[in-house]
Amino acid sequence: MSGYVTKRLLQGLVVLGIVSFISFAIFQYLGDPVATMAGQYATQAEREELRRVLGLDRPFYVQYARFIGNALRGNLGLSYVARVPVLGLILERLPASIELAFAAELIAVAFGVVLGALSAAYPRSWFSRITQTGSLVGISLPTFIVGIGLILVFVVWLGWLPPFGRGETVPILGGAWRTGLLTASGLSHLVLPAFTLGMFQLAVLFRLTRGGVIEALQADYVRTARAKGVKPPVVLFRHVLRNVFIPVVTIIGLQLGQLIGFSIVTESIFQWPGAGSLLLASIFESDFPVVAAYIMTVALIIVGLNLLVDVAYALLDPRIRYG
Amino acid sequence: MTQIPNVAIGLLSALALAGSLVAAPRAHAQGASRLAVGVAAAPHTMDPQAADVDSNMSAMTNIFDGLVQRDTAGELQPGLATAWKRIDEETWRFELRKGVKFHNGNDFTWEDVQFTMERLKSPHSEFRNFGALVASVTPVGNDPWVVDMKTRGSVPFFVQTLHMIFIMDKESTASRSEGEVAQTPIGTGPYRFVEWVKGSHLRLAANEQYWGGAPAIKQAEFRAVAEPSTRLAAITSGAVDILQDVPVALGSALAKHPQVELVSRPARRAIFLGLGNKPGTPTADLRVRKAMYMAINEQEIIEKVMFGRATPAAQIPDPPTVGYSKAITRLPYDPDEAKRLLAEAGYPNGFEITLTGPNDRYVQDAQIQATVAAQLARVGIKVKVDSKPKSVFFPQVSRHELDFFLIGWFDGSYDFGRSFRQLLHTVDEKAGYGATNGAGYGNPGLDELFAAAEKTIDPEKRAEALRRLNEATMEQVAVIPLHYQSDDYAIRKDRGIRFTPRSDTWIVFKDIARSGS
Repeated sequence: MSGYVTKRLLQGLVVLGIVSFISFAIFQYLGDPVATMAGQYATQAEREELRRVLGLDRPFYVQYARFIGNALRGNLGLSYVARVPVLGLILERLPASIELAFAAELIAVAFGVVLGALSAAYPRSWFSRITQTGSLVGISLPTFIVGIGLILVFVVWLGWLPPFGRGETVPILGGAWRTGLLTASGLSHLVLPAFTLGMFQLAVLFRLTRGGVIEALQADYVRTARAKGVKPPVVLFRHVLRNVFIPVVTIIGLQLGQLIGFSIVTESIFQWPGAGSLLLASIFESDFPVVAAYIMTVALIIVGLNLLVDVAYALLDPRIRYG
Repeated sequence: MTQIPNVAIGLLSALALAGSLVAAPRAHAQGASRLAVGVAAAPHTMDPQAADVDSNMSAMTNIFDGLVQRDTAGELQPGLATAWKRIDEETWRFELRKGVKFHNGNDFTWEDVQFTMERLKSPHSEFRNFGALVASVTPVGNDPWVVDMKTRGSVPFFVQTLHMIFIMDKESTASRSEGEVAQTPIGTGPYRFVEWVKGSHLRLAANEQYWGGAPAIKQAEFRAVAEPSTRLAAITSGAVDILQDVPVALGSALAKHPQVELVSRPARRAIFLGLGNKPGTPTADLRVRKAMYMAINEQEIIEKVMFGRATPAAQIPDPPTVGYSKAITRLPYDPDEAKRLLAEAGYPNGFEITLTGPNDRYVQDAQIQATVAAQLARVGIKVKVDSKPKSVFFPQVSRHELDFFLIGWFDGSYDFGRSFRQLLHTVDEKAGYGATNGAGYGNPGLDELFAAAEKTIDPEKRAEALRRLNEATMEQVAVIPLHYQSDDYAIRKDRGIRFTPRSDTWIVFKDIARSGS
């Protein structure tokens, strides 16, 4: 088992190395940070001087080696724009993204699985037809349309929910994490972006569950259970869903990393102060240290989640060999 | 930052406004002494020297004071200096305000001024160019409340720039790391720093000990809202009291909203087209430059592209800038005359040229470039449009490698001399001339007028010299001016807000008042 984990860890490190190299190589074409950093009245000589001070006049591989060397010592440098340490900037933003991703996934699972199961249980009902069409809409609508549409209805027309931001947050874990989950304002701000971000996943889980349940309902054990007089809801939720859940859990695990790392569009629409909107702003501002550190962090999270999924598989399914 | 196609914004915003007319008015829990302003661009940093853009200085001016400040109209007023005068070409004398304290309790002294000026030269500063002009800061005789600042050479716009140079506390700035300084600002200004969540909001609380009197708004907040559709929702739902930078496509629609008042003023920034004059190129010929100017239908650009939210410009500076001339008028829109001038210059069938410009910097920038290209095509000039992100465009400008480009400009120092030195002076890397002269334009006659103005110390005579320089610049069609953008604000009517937009677009909370809500 430990040999298996070590091997997967080493593979993960190689992936991180490749990701960092590619992201660094792309910076060469992202624009010139010195153009703004030197100020709008800077002369060419002043720009070159600043470029030298920052080491940006060195060849790309030298800059890369220095970045990796510093990163290994835990120093990701200062943001070119905010002039504050990059790591703090990202760690401060990640809680917002993680809370949003988990809320979105929770909504997707709760609605997707329950609606999917009910829709499969009564395949010819009006309810089934409506939800099935709805899921098609959920899969095909771009995130920004969903987001703006929700703002339109729930903010502008009904006035029930706030339009943007994260609301009041309180520090937990000794101030390392600011959460919006413990205040009414924070929760009300979370609803719309979480639905927007979760909509696609919800639709995917709905269709996955519905398909699985329809198939499972034909199985012998269901007929046996029914013949024994087990009530239909018990058959559906206790017996059928359990068997359908295995692929659903896999999808949930895979989606979560994506939701944390790349909720960029949702975060920009709702001005959610998460890591995605930080990445977008940093790309526009040629803030390379932030972009590099961000890509590394997200790669670390995704590699970590995949590792967990792999290990969980190995534990759950004896047919998978450690090797 | 715009992710969303304009069509979607237009469609949804139209629906949103239609709906909001019937939506029930909602109660607001906010007290009369609170105020939230929605801004398009969040402050980048809390280091007052680390960003020279207005979106950042707008936040900083609430926390810090300069030696001087500008009032709503843009006029210079005393700040941490109570009086100043130019002693000779290189010396400016300031009388400092006594009894001012920083938010951490430290006293404001001349050493803070000296420290601030020295720090401008650090790699963390975007005012390095200005910092390099300061030679020394020393008290006069035994009086620590009178200081002389020496400049390197004659810097006529010196004091006119000082409203952007925010005085920092020497003790707490020197003793903290750059990361901490850029996270927690300590100034002398009317508001204390409370909380900054980058990209989200900046919270400020009134400084009750402020030397200019305690401000009326006790809790102030900048809230960043970048997406146009979300910004619309922010003001119609009342989540913000004032919205800065109303999206241009929504301005006229938002004006119909019952709870929202639209306030506009012409922006300081002029949008214009730069044009090279390297010998042998068509644009070296003044007749060609005039023809291109006359082929552009600015009225059409304002109506169709800018949705009416712009005013025509005939020159680069705006009225409050020293050197602005009322005598300059636009060349008339006259495509026939333009064709005649082109034929006379030897280009009866036009020529080809590339128009370069940013697509993420100014209001409707890429659309303006496309429209200009279409209008020039009508007189036979084939324009290839090359719109690109600002992070790629501006480095090209500083390499002077463009032939024809769109750019916007206003002078933070309110001085056309400084603009000319930067934009149109013959490129001279050593002297620092023409750093933003994207097409490498050069005209010795204009350079001479500039040099004469720089030598003039008397403010009246200098203003006259700069006006002459400006008029000559436009006679030579050194640039083709297009328009001044419009600064549009949406204000909630139901909150008793008294707010006058400033020429520099800064949000100065101490100048905003609210009656009971």
